[in-house]
Amino acid sequence: MTGFTAHPTRRTALGLIAAAGCARPARAGGLRVATVDWSVLETLLALGLPPVAAPELRQFREVAVEPAVPAQVTDLGLRGSVNFELLLLSRPDLILSSSFYAGSEPRLRRIAPVESFSVYAPGRPPYEPALAMTRRIGERLGAAAAAERYVAETEAEFAALRDRLKPLATRSVIPINLGDARHFRVFGDDSMFGEVLRRLGLANAWTDHTSYSATAPIGLEALAQVPQAEIALIPPVPPGAMETLARSAFWNALPNLREGRLLRIGSINPYGGLPAARRFARLLTEGLLAAEAARG
Amino acid sequence: MADAAGPARPRLGGRSGAWAFAALAAAALLAAVVATRPALPASPALARTLESILLWHSLMPRAATALVCGAALGLAGMLLQRVLRNPVADASTLGIASGAQLALTVASAYAPALIAASREGVALAGALAAVALVLGLSWRRGLDPMTVVLSGMVVALVAAAASATVILAKGEYVLSLFIWGAGSLNQQSWDAVLALAPRLALSAAAAALLLRPLTLLGLDEDVAHGLGLTLPAARFAVLGIAVWLAASVTAEVGVIGFVGLAAPALARELGARTPRQMLLAAPALGALLLSITDSAVQLLGSGFNDLAPTGAATALFGGPLLLWLMRRVPLALPPQAQDAAWGSYRAARSLRSLAPLAGLILAVAALGLLLGRGPAGWSWATGALFWDLLPFRGPRLAAAGTAGALLGAAGCLMQRLTANPLAGPEVLGVSAGGGVGLLLALTLMPTSPFAMLSGIAGGSLAVLVVMLLFAARPGIGPQRLLLAGIAMGALCMAVVSTAMAQGDLRAYLLLVWLSGSTNRAGVFEAWTGLIACIVLIAPLLLASRWLDLLPLGEATGRSLGLAVTRSRLCLAAMAALATAVASLLVGPLSLIGLIAPHLARLAGFARSRDQLLAAMLIGCGVMITADWLARLVVFPYQLPVGLFAALIGGPYLIWLLNRGGPRNG
Repeated sequence: MTGFTAHPTRRTALGLIAAAGCARPARAGGLRVATVDWSVLETLLALGLPPVAAPELRQFREVAVEPAVPAQVTDLGLRGSVNFELLLLSRPDLILSSSFYAGSEPRLRRIAPVESFSVYAPGRPPYEPALAMTRRIGERLGAAAAAERYVAETEAEFAALRDRLKPLATRSVIPINLGDARHFRVFGDDSMFGEVLRRLGLANAWTDHTSYSATAPIGLEALAQVPQAEIALIPPVPPGAMETLARSAFWNALPNLREGRLLRIGSINPYGGLPAARRFARLLTEGLLAAEAARG
Repeated sequence: MADAAGPARPRLGGRSGAWAFAALAAAALLAAVVATRPALPASPALARTLESILLWHSLMPRAATALVCGAALGLAGMLLQRVLRNPVADASTLGIASGAQLALTVASAYAPALIAASREGVALAGALAAVALVLGLSWRRGLDPMTVVLSGMVVALVAAAASATVILAKGEYVLSLFIWGAGSLNQQSWDAVLALAPRLALSAAAAALLLRPLTLLGLDEDVAHGLGLTLPAARFAVLGIAVWLAASVTAEVGVIGFVGLAAPALARELGARTPRQMLLAAPALGALLLSITDSAVQLLGSGFNDLAPTGAATALFGGPLLLWLMRRVPLALPPQAQDAAWGSYRAARSLRSLAPLAGLILAVAALGLLLGRGPAGWSWATGALFWDLLPFRGPRLAAAGTAGALLGAAGCLMQRLTANPLAGPEVLGVSAGGGVGLLLALTLMPTSPFAMLSGIAGGSLAVLVVMLLFAARPGIGPQRLLLAGIAMGALCMAVVSTAMAQGDLRAYLLLVWLSGSTNRAGVFEAWTGLIACIVLIAPLLLASRWLDLLPLGEATGRSLGLAVTRSRLCLAAMAALATAVASLLVGPLSLIGLIAPHLARLAGFARSRDQLLAAMLIGCGVMITADWLARLVVFPYQLPVGLFAALIGGPYLIWLLNRGGPRNG
């Protein structure tokens, strides 16, 4: 403990706050907060303010992975059909929502006051709104300082990663999700992944816009448009898809594949907040640098 | 593909022009796909290499896959229709494709090792289970075509509901739902062709060897016996081939609707009569149909993206084709005699026996309001907690119950209007038509509940009127009406899937409508349902004379002093509105509109007013139960109530049909 207090860094301070949050879960600045949105959940957890209840935790632990969700948080069921009864029984003082759940707001308001954020909106890059949301959540829950620290740490991490990536600054990256062995989902410059690439000084190989949600899958042939790009393959990968691809003449003939520009990185929530953006930045940088080192 | 059609030509003289045209169209479209494929923005050398790989390892295998899959489905459809003596049999109406798809979904979710070991084996297991279930259930009624198709459609729906449940329970609904449910022929190697072509050849050869039994399968069992043929063995052999083919296709490319139904129908239209002719013509037509469809979705899409998944788009082309042909398609078999499903199997019950049912519904409703699960397990909601939870439990209970009653009434009306015991909002394509109306409303009007409701109502009414006009034509048997309904439903769903494949806000709203969850129900939904029940159903009770007279036919009705056209239109409008309101509340996929009137009749409520009331109560009860279970079974995760209702009502209906049928099998 003395080690921590002797050399206080932002990370240890946050760690302490998080630990305090875990010890006394479901209390954020004296308020019992619940959320129905994953980007809010990530942000709350990152600020050390775990909510009393949040949706689809099973899938969150698999897809978003971090920050870790304390066991005491109640699972509200699917994001698409949040269990209102259970939310009511969790007795929150405040519900944090997002524009994805605008249709449910009247019902949420019956349970507790609602504050809604709009990080993802058509045609608007999501990074600045995610920053604003982080600050607003901190302010609302009496943790403005923690929020400022988190924002500063985020910017510092991006700057540091950008420095490390300097030698690779001309690279372009195409982040994809495989739908099956023949289709993928892309993330254009109006997505969070696109924003992260820009902040890391990398180019997004996919220059078309992608609508902000419910993106239709694209045929794998489209990858031929971006032969120079590093393909960042983001899980979940459907079972059998990699085996099918391994036998595909086209997949193996892509310059990206022939020249080893396929990065299999960890799972990330594509519609997340700052924590997801940082996770993507970190995993991508590590993957790119490791691949570069392996190539010699 | 010209040579695929070639051998059939001489035997089908007089129609060679049509064959040549179809083959030329397929060839020309494929040439257009090759000629107009988008250029790759890469250095010339790289572009050349990749384009040649794309051409030889993607485009060409895709074209070949379309031909092989089309032929396989055409052959499977033709064999199924022949062996079951059922002109509306195919891999989709028998639940084979859905069964295979369910097995693949469950295996990829819970046992990925099985998928890695053998996709085809998993699909075949699912397909065999589905077909065994369908045939087992209609066995006692002598595999009567109507019972087989009814069981098949219910099994298909239940399997689809279970697939969706698995996907939803895994939480991967956005991306999966776009791909799931509609096959795509997109290829990256010759693997699919190499896997399917030998199977197709083998099956075709086996079918050719079974030509004599195939001929006899069209005959009566007694006649066939007299000619020295053991029908059961031959039937099982042919059935096995067809199921294997359909399962293989599903395992390789997913569910491709319609080809297996349309190809044999088209073949008959082009003059094929004998099994030998059909054996050549149906696969050839299936191949051409799927090839043309696949080329068209590539040509109409932008860049490398298809316009829609090919498996759904087949209905865009096959649906209208089949509807247009319907006027002339001779049914392969004489129409069935009076269908037993019309008869009531028990002594008619009086209205008084509805009382226990009503009591049961009240009990379930009370249970739904009082008993639930919370963070600390099961609990009774009493006192303040009851009032806290009521604003959430009340509206969804009301929405589910009224939607069930509306669907029960709508199904009853449609069965009376068409004099067809299998009619229902889902079967006649009326629910799906509502989806097209919704799409139009979302495109043309600012989004509002009123715009959505009027869109769905308009679409439903349009489809229902078309179906009624169709049913009113002289000589349309119940089978042809059913075929038309399936075609119309598939066509409308194909339009909806095409819109969903564009992936914009409309796609999201359509998806919400399709999955139909009462979790969203609030005060507005509850009142919509209640008011619709009162406004639409009260007049029906006064019009029960119309309902008694209409199935007796137009002449009888008129001679008894009924303004036939006006009363039909009135009832149709009410049925369409009831369907629209219900699908807004619980989605279009519940099958309650088919199940509830059936259950009412099987329970002995024969007079139209009694059947109407019983169907409404049964629909209401099943929906309330489904809603309650849907929110408790995988708590805190909730399932769409419409799909859950299909999971409950479907098996029960099949069981009742089987149990109540005359013992003539």
